[in-house]
Amino acid sequence: MRFQDAARDARAVVYAGIQADPLVGRVAALLAEATGAERLLARAVMNGERSDAEPWRRIFPALFGEGASKGSGEELRRHAELLLAASLEVANRGEAARSQYRGAVVEELTARLLAGRAAPEAPVRRERRVLFDGVPAEIHPYDVTVESRTRPEVYDCKWGARGINADVLNQLDDARTHAADEEMDVSVAIVVFDSRRSCELRLDRSTANREKTRLVALESLDELRG
Amino acid sequence: MSEAAEPNLVTASDVVERAASSYRALADLAETVEDEWEYVSDLVDAYLPSIRALADENDGRPLAPDQAAAVDEAIAEIGLISDPHKAIDWLSTFPHVVALALGGDVDSPAGAASKPAGADAPESDDDSPFRILLRGDR
Repeated sequence: MRFQDAARDARAVVYAGIQADPLVGRVAALLAEATGAERLLARAVMNGERSDAEPWRRIFPALFGEGASKGSGEELRRHAELLLAASLEVANRGEAARSQYRGAVVEELTARLLAGRAAPEAPVRRERRVLFDGVPAEIHPYDVTVESRTRPEVYDCKWGARGINADVLNQLDDARTHAADEEMDVSVAIVVFDSRRSCELRLDRSTANREKTRLVALESLDELRG
Repeated sequence: MSEAAEPNLVTASDVVERAASSYRALADLAETVEDEWEYVSDLVDAYLPSIRALADENDGRPLAPDQAAAVDEAIAEIGLISDPHKAIDWLSTFPHVVALALGGDVDSPAGAASKPAGADAPESDDDSPFRILLRGDR
Protein backbone atom coordinates (compact mmCIF):
# COMPACT_ATOMS: atom_id res chain seq x y z
CA MET A 1 0.00 0.00 0.00
CA ARG A 2 1.15 3.56 -0.56
CA PHE A 3 -0.12 7.11 -0.21
CA GLN A 4 -0.40 9.60 -3.04
CA ASP A 5 -1.46 13.23 -3.44
CA ALA A 6 -5.00 13.57 -4.76
CA ALA A 7 -5.51 14.86 -8.28
CA ARG A 8 -6.35 18.57 -8.34
CA ASP A 9 -9.67 19.02 -10.13
CA ALA A 10 -11.46 22.39 -10.28
CA ARG A 11 -13.38 21.74 -7.09
CA ALA A 12 -10.24 20.79 -5.23
CA VAL A 13 -8.50 23.97 -6.36
CA VAL A 14 -11.35 26.13 -5.05
CA TYR A 15 -11.48 24.19 -1.80
CA ALA A 16 -7.71 24.46 -1.40
CA GLY A 17 -8.16 28.23 -1.35
CA ILE A 18 -10.54 27.90 1.59
CA GLN A 19 -8.23 25.46 3.37
CA ALA A 20 -5.42 27.97 3.01
CA ASP A 21 -7.44 30.89 4.40
CA PRO A 22 -5.73 32.00 7.64
CA LEU A 23 -9.15 32.10 9.31
CA VAL A 24 -9.35 28.30 9.06
CA GLY A 25 -6.01 27.89 10.77
CA ARG A 26 -6.89 30.42 13.44
CA VAL A 27 -10.20 28.74 14.32
CA ALA A 28 -8.57 25.30 14.33
CA ALA A 29 -5.74 26.48 16.57
CA LEU A 30 -8.24 27.90 19.07
CA LEU A 31 -10.33 24.72 18.94
CA ALA A 32 -7.28 22.55 19.52
CA GLU A 33 -6.81 24.25 22.90
CA ALA A 34 -10.51 24.57 23.71
CA THR A 35 -12.61 22.97 26.43
CA GLY A 36 -15.61 20.85 25.53
CA ALA A 37 -17.92 23.77 26.32
CA GLU A 38 -15.98 26.07 24.01
CA ARG A 39 -16.19 23.52 21.20
CA LEU A 40 -19.94 23.37 21.71
CA LEU A 41 -20.02 27.18 21.54
CA ALA A 42 -18.09 27.10 18.25
CA ARG A 43 -20.45 24.53 16.75
CA ALA A 44 -23.50 26.58 17.78
CA VAL A 45 -22.11 29.88 16.49
CA MET A 46 -20.94 28.45 13.17
CA ASN A 47 -24.39 26.88 12.74
CA GLY A 48 -26.12 29.98 14.03
CA GLU A 49 -28.37 32.69 12.71
CA ARG A 50 -27.23 35.68 14.74
CA SER A 51 -24.07 37.46 13.79
CA ASP A 52 -23.45 39.59 16.87
CA ALA A 53 -21.60 38.28 19.89
CA GLU A 54 -23.88 39.38 22.73
CA PRO A 55 -26.63 36.76 22.37
CA TRP A 56 -23.99 34.02 22.28
CA ARG A 57 -22.42 35.32 25.47
CA ARG A 58 -25.85 35.09 27.11
CA ILE A 59 -26.39 31.54 25.81
CA PHE A 60 -23.11 30.39 27.37
CA PRO A 61 -22.97 31.89 30.87
CA ALA A 62 -20.56 29.14 31.92
CA LEU A 63 -18.03 30.72 29.55
CA PHE A 64 -18.97 34.41 29.67
CA GLY A 65 -20.92 34.92 32.89
CA GLU A 66 -19.66 36.57 36.04
CA GLY A 67 -18.36 33.33 37.49
CA ALA A 68 -16.29 32.70 34.38
CA SER A 69 -14.31 35.91 34.88
CA LYS A 70 -13.04 35.15 38.34
CA GLY A 71 -9.63 33.68 39.15
CA SER A 72 -8.40 31.16 36.60
CA GLY A 73 -11.66 31.70 34.76
CA GLU A 74 -10.25 34.92 33.36
CA GLU A 75 -7.96 33.00 31.02
CA LEU A 76 -10.82 30.72 29.95
CA ARG A 77 -12.99 33.72 29.23
CA ARG A 78 -10.30 35.39 27.12
CA HIS A 79 -9.88 32.22 25.11
CA ALA A 80 -13.65 31.83 24.72
CA GLU A 81 -13.90 35.42 23.47
CA LEU A 82 -11.27 34.74 20.81
CA LEU A 83 -13.05 31.59 19.73
CA LEU A 84 -16.42 33.35 19.66
CA ALA A 85 -15.05 36.12 17.46
CA ALA A 86 -13.37 33.69 15.07
CA SER A 87 -16.49 31.48 14.88
CA LEU A 88 -18.59 34.53 14.04
CA GLU A 89 -16.16 35.36 11.24
CA VAL A 90 -16.84 31.93 9.76
CA ALA A 91 -20.60 32.30 10.21
CA ASN A 92 -20.50 35.71 8.56
CA ARG A 93 -18.87 34.36 5.38
CA GLY A 94 -22.38 33.62 4.19
CA GLU A 95 -24.47 30.53 3.83
CA ALA A 96 -22.75 29.11 0.76
CA ALA A 97 -19.20 29.54 2.01
CA ARG A 98 -19.65 28.71 5.66
CA SER A 99 -20.27 25.01 5.12
CA GLN A 100 -16.99 24.73 3.23
CA TYR A 101 -15.18 26.68 5.94
CA ARG A 102 -16.65 24.48 8.63
CA GLY A 103 -15.48 21.34 6.85
CA ALA A 104 -12.02 22.80 6.39
CA VAL A 105 -11.89 23.74 10.08
CA VAL A 106 -12.64 20.16 11.18
CA GLU A 107 -9.94 18.81 8.87
CA GLU A 108 -7.39 21.34 10.07
CA LEU A 109 -8.30 20.70 13.70
CA THR A 110 -7.89 16.95 13.19
CA ALA A 111 -4.50 17.44 11.55
CA ARG A 112 -3.34 19.75 14.36
CA LEU A 113 -4.42 17.38 17.11
CA LEU A 114 -2.74 14.44 15.37
CA ALA A 115 0.39 16.51 14.79
CA GLY A 116 0.86 16.66 18.55
CA ARG A 117 2.10 13.07 18.42
CA ALA A 118 3.51 13.06 14.91
CA ALA A 119 7.00 11.78 14.33
CA PRO A 120 9.30 12.14 11.33
CA GLU A 121 8.57 8.54 10.36
CA ALA A 122 4.80 9.12 10.65
CA PRO A 123 3.98 12.48 9.06
CA VAL A 124 0.46 13.90 9.11
CA ARG A 125 -0.70 14.70 5.58
CA ARG A 126 -3.86 16.10 3.95
CA GLU A 127 -5.97 15.14 0.92
CA ARG A 128 -4.23 11.88 0.20
CA ARG A 129 -5.31 8.79 -1.65
CA VAL A 130 -4.37 5.31 -0.55
CA LEU A 131 -3.32 2.95 -3.32
CA PHE A 132 -3.32 -0.83 -3.14
CA ASP A 133 -1.92 -3.31 -5.61
CA GLY A 134 -4.56 -4.46 -8.06
CA VAL A 135 -7.31 -2.28 -6.56
CA PRO A 136 -8.77 0.69 -8.47
CA ALA A 137 -8.02 3.92 -6.60
CA GLU A 138 -10.84 5.65 -4.75
CA ILE A 139 -11.95 8.89 -6.36
CA HIS A 140 -12.18 10.81 -3.12
CA PRO A 141 -9.04 11.35 -1.09
CA TYR A 142 -8.92 10.87 2.67
CA ASP A 143 -9.02 14.17 4.56
CA VAL A 144 -6.14 13.44 6.91
CA THR A 145 -3.61 10.62 7.02
CA VAL A 146 -0.84 9.62 9.40
CA GLU A 147 1.63 7.91 7.12
CA SER A 148 3.45 5.55 9.39
CA ARG A 149 5.07 2.55 7.71
CA THR A 150 4.10 0.29 10.56
CA ARG A 151 0.68 1.60 11.68
CA PRO A 152 -0.81 4.05 9.18
CA GLU A 153 -4.03 5.92 10.01
CA VAL A 154 -6.68 7.40 7.74
CA TYR A 155 -9.34 9.90 8.79
CA ASP A 156 -12.45 11.28 7.22
CA CYS A 157 -13.73 14.49 8.78
CA LYS A 158 -17.30 15.79 9.02
CA TRP A 159 -18.84 18.90 10.48
CA GLY A 160 -22.03 17.14 11.52
CA ALA A 161 -23.46 13.70 12.09
CA ARG A 162 -25.49 14.11 8.91
CA GLY A 163 -22.24 13.81 6.98
CA ILE A 164 -21.94 10.19 8.06
CA ASN A 165 -23.15 8.05 5.19
CA ALA A 166 -22.59 4.63 3.67
CA ASP A 167 -20.11 5.89 1.06
CA VAL A 168 -17.84 7.38 3.70
CA LEU A 169 -18.04 4.34 5.96
CA ASN A 170 -17.49 1.91 3.09
CA GLN A 171 -14.48 3.83 1.81
CA LEU A 172 -12.88 3.77 5.26
CA ASP A 173 -13.57 0.08 5.72
CA ASP A 174 -12.31 -0.71 2.22
CA ALA A 175 -9.00 0.95 3.09
CA ARG A 176 -8.72 -1.22 6.16
CA THR A 177 -9.58 -4.49 4.39
CA HIS A 178 -7.36 -3.84 1.37
CA ALA A 179 -4.51 -3.02 3.71
CA ALA A 180 -5.16 -6.23 5.61
CA ASP A 181 -4.87 -8.10 2.30
CA GLU A 182 -1.35 -6.68 2.13
CA GLU A 183 -0.79 -7.61 5.77
CA MET A 184 -0.85 -3.99 6.87
CA ASP A 185 -2.77 -2.85 9.94
CA VAL A 186 -4.46 0.45 9.10
CA SER A 187 -6.44 2.39 11.68
CA VAL A 188 -9.53 4.04 10.19
CA ALA A 189 -11.65 6.70 11.89
CA ILE A 190 -14.32 9.24 11.23
CA VAL A 191 -13.98 12.56 13.04
CA VAL A 192 -17.27 14.39 13.53
CA PHE A 193 -17.64 17.85 15.06
CA ASP A 194 -20.98 16.85 16.53
CA SER A 195 -22.17 15.15 19.68
CA ARG A 196 -21.39 11.48 20.11
CA ARG A 197 -25.01 10.70 20.77
CA SER A 198 -26.15 12.19 17.46
CA CYS A 199 -23.37 10.38 15.63
CA GLU A 200 -24.32 7.06 17.18
CA LEU A 201 -27.97 7.58 16.23
CA ARG A 202 -26.80 8.18 12.67
CA LEU A 203 -24.53 5.15 12.69
CA ASP A 204 -27.26 2.93 14.10
CA ARG A 205 -29.24 3.42 10.88
CA SER A 206 -26.31 2.58 8.64
CA THR A 207 -25.91 -0.88 7.16
CA ALA A 208 -22.32 -0.19 6.05
CA ASN A 209 -19.56 -2.23 7.62
CA ARG A 210 -18.16 -0.05 10.38
CA GLU A 211 -17.16 -2.48 13.11
CA LYS A 212 -13.49 -1.50 12.92
CA THR A 213 -14.07 2.19 12.18
CA ARG A 214 -13.47 4.43 15.17
CA LEU A 215 -15.76 7.36 15.86
CA VAL A 216 -14.14 10.51 17.22
CA ALA A 217 -16.94 12.87 18.20
CA LEU A 218 -17.00 16.43 19.54
CA GLU A 219 -16.59 15.33 23.14
CA SER A 220 -13.59 13.09 22.50
CA LEU A 221 -11.49 15.09 20.01
CA ASP A 222 -8.56 15.14 22.40
CA GLU A 223 -8.23 11.38 21.87
CA LEU A 224 -6.54 12.31 18.61
CA ARG A 225 -3.54 13.57 20.54
CA GLY A 226 -2.83 9.96 21.39
CA MET B 1 -40.06 35.76 53.59
CA SER B 2 -41.98 32.86 52.08
CA GLU B 3 -41.28 31.54 48.56
CA ALA B 4 -44.71 32.76 47.46
CA ALA B 5 -43.47 36.29 48.01
CA GLU B 6 -40.69 35.87 45.46
CA PRO B 7 -42.55 35.93 42.13
CA ASN B 8 -39.37 36.33 40.04
CA LEU B 9 -38.02 32.90 40.90
CA VAL B 10 -37.84 30.71 37.82
CA THR B 11 -37.61 26.97 38.23
CA ALA B 12 -35.89 24.56 35.88
CA SER B 13 -39.20 22.90 35.05
CA ASP B 14 -40.58 26.20 33.67
CA VAL B 15 -37.56 26.78 31.45
CA VAL B 16 -37.19 23.16 30.42
CA GLU B 17 -40.79 22.95 29.29
CA ARG B 18 -40.24 26.00 27.05
CA ALA B 19 -37.10 24.40 25.68
CA ALA B 20 -38.89 21.10 25.01
CA SER B 21 -41.73 22.87 23.25
CA SER B 22 -39.29 24.80 21.04
CA TYR B 23 -37.37 21.63 20.29
CA ARG B 24 -40.58 19.98 19.13
CA ALA B 25 -41.29 22.93 16.83
CA LEU B 26 -37.75 22.71 15.45
CA ALA B 27 -38.31 19.01 14.76
CA ASP B 28 -41.51 19.80 12.88
CA LEU B 29 -39.48 22.03 10.57
CA ALA B 30 -36.68 19.46 10.21
CA GLU B 31 -39.13 16.70 9.35
CA THR B 32 -39.91 18.45 6.07
CA VAL B 33 -36.59 17.10 4.74
CA GLU B 34 -38.04 13.81 3.57
CA ASP B 35 -34.72 11.98 3.15
CA GLU B 36 -33.83 12.66 6.77
CA TRP B 37 -37.15 11.82 8.36
CA GLU B 38 -35.82 8.74 10.17
CA TYR B 39 -32.78 10.54 11.53
CA VAL B 40 -34.91 13.45 12.71
CA SER B 41 -37.26 11.02 14.47
CA ASP B 42 -34.31 9.28 16.09
CA LEU B 43 -32.93 12.59 17.35
CA VAL B 44 -36.26 13.66 18.78
CA ASP B 45 -36.93 10.27 20.38
CA ALA B 46 -33.53 10.42 22.03
CA TYR B 47 -33.20 14.04 23.03
CA LEU B 48 -36.70 15.20 23.91
CA PRO B 49 -36.96 12.97 27.01
CA SER B 50 -33.40 13.97 27.94
CA ILE B 51 -34.28 17.66 27.75
CA ARG B 52 -37.32 17.08 29.95
CA ALA B 53 -35.18 15.10 32.39
CA LEU B 54 -33.04 18.19 32.96
CA ALA B 55 -35.90 19.53 35.05
CA ASP B 56 -35.69 16.46 37.30
CA GLU B 57 -31.96 16.96 37.73
CA ASN B 58 -32.66 20.46 39.07
CA ASP B 59 -35.66 19.18 41.04
CA GLY B 60 -37.66 22.38 41.39
CA ARG B 61 -34.74 24.51 42.54
CA PRO B 62 -34.86 28.11 41.36
CA LEU B 63 -32.41 28.85 38.56
CA ALA B 64 -29.84 31.62 38.54
CA PRO B 65 -31.05 34.45 36.32
CA ASP B 66 -28.27 33.86 33.77
CA GLN B 67 -29.23 30.19 33.48
CA ALA B 68 -32.83 30.99 32.62
CA ALA B 69 -31.72 33.77 30.27
CA ALA B 70 -29.32 31.38 28.53
CA VAL B 71 -32.03 28.86 27.76
CA ASP B 72 -34.46 31.56 26.63
CA GLU B 73 -31.77 33.04 24.37
CA ALA B 74 -31.07 29.59 22.89
CA ILE B 75 -34.81 29.18 22.31
CA ALA B 76 -34.81 32.56 20.53
CA GLU B 77 -31.91 31.41 18.35
CA ILE B 78 -33.66 28.28 17.11
CA GLY B 79 -36.82 30.29 16.64
CA LEU B 80 -35.02 32.22 13.91
CA ILE B 81 -34.34 29.12 11.84
CA SER B 82 -36.40 28.73 8.70
CA ASP B 83 -34.18 26.34 6.74
CA PRO B 84 -35.10 22.73 7.57
CA HIS B 85 -31.54 21.54 6.93
CA LYS B 86 -30.25 23.96 9.55
CA ALA B 87 -33.00 22.75 11.83
CA ILE B 88 -31.51 19.24 11.65
CA ASP B 89 -28.10 20.60 12.64
CA TRP B 90 -29.66 22.29 15.64
CA LEU B 91 -31.62 19.21 16.72
CA SER B 92 -28.30 17.70 17.72
CA THR B 93 -26.84 20.91 19.19
CA PHE B 94 -29.66 22.61 21.08
CA PRO B 95 -30.10 19.90 23.76
CA HIS B 96 -26.41 20.11 24.67
CA VAL B 97 -26.54 23.91 24.82
CA VAL B 98 -29.54 23.76 27.17
CA ALA B 99 -27.90 21.07 29.28
CA LEU B 100 -24.72 23.12 29.62
CA ALA B 101 -26.73 26.14 30.74
CA LEU B 102 -28.60 24.11 33.34
CA GLY B 103 -25.61 22.14 34.55
CA GLY B 104 -26.91 18.77 33.44
CA ASP B 105 -26.26 16.51 30.52
CA VAL B 106 -28.16 14.90 27.68
CA ASP B 107 -25.44 12.47 26.68
CA SER B 108 -27.33 9.37 27.78
CA PRO B 109 -30.94 8.18 27.57
CA ALA B 110 -33.16 9.98 30.07
CA GLY B 111 -32.90 8.31 33.44
CA ALA B 112 -29.85 6.25 32.54
CA ALA B 113 -27.28 8.70 33.84
CA SER B 114 -29.18 10.53 36.52
CA LYS B 115 -27.63 10.31 39.97
CA PRO B 116 -28.42 12.08 43.21
CA ALA B 117 -26.96 15.56 43.53
CA GLY B 118 -23.44 15.37 44.89
CA ALA B 119 -22.85 11.83 43.72
CA ASP B 120 -19.67 11.12 41.80
CA ALA B 121 -20.01 11.47 38.04
CA PRO B 122 -20.05 8.12 36.28
CA GLU B 123 -17.16 7.25 33.95
CA SER B 124 -19.35 7.44 30.87
CA ASP B 125 -20.09 11.11 31.49
CA ASP B 126 -16.50 12.19 31.82
CA ASP B 127 -16.40 13.75 28.36
CA SER B 128 -19.62 15.78 28.58
CA PRO B 129 -18.86 19.44 27.81
CA PHE B 130 -20.17 20.59 31.17
CA ARG B 131 -17.99 18.25 33.16
CA ILE B 132 -14.98 19.03 31.01
CA LEU B 133 -15.59 22.70 31.63
CA LEU B 134 -15.72 22.12 35.35
CA ARG B 135 -12.48 20.18 35.18
CA GLY B 136 -10.91 22.99 33.21
CA ASP B 137 -9.31 20.55 30.78
CA ARG B 138 -7.77 22.05 27.70
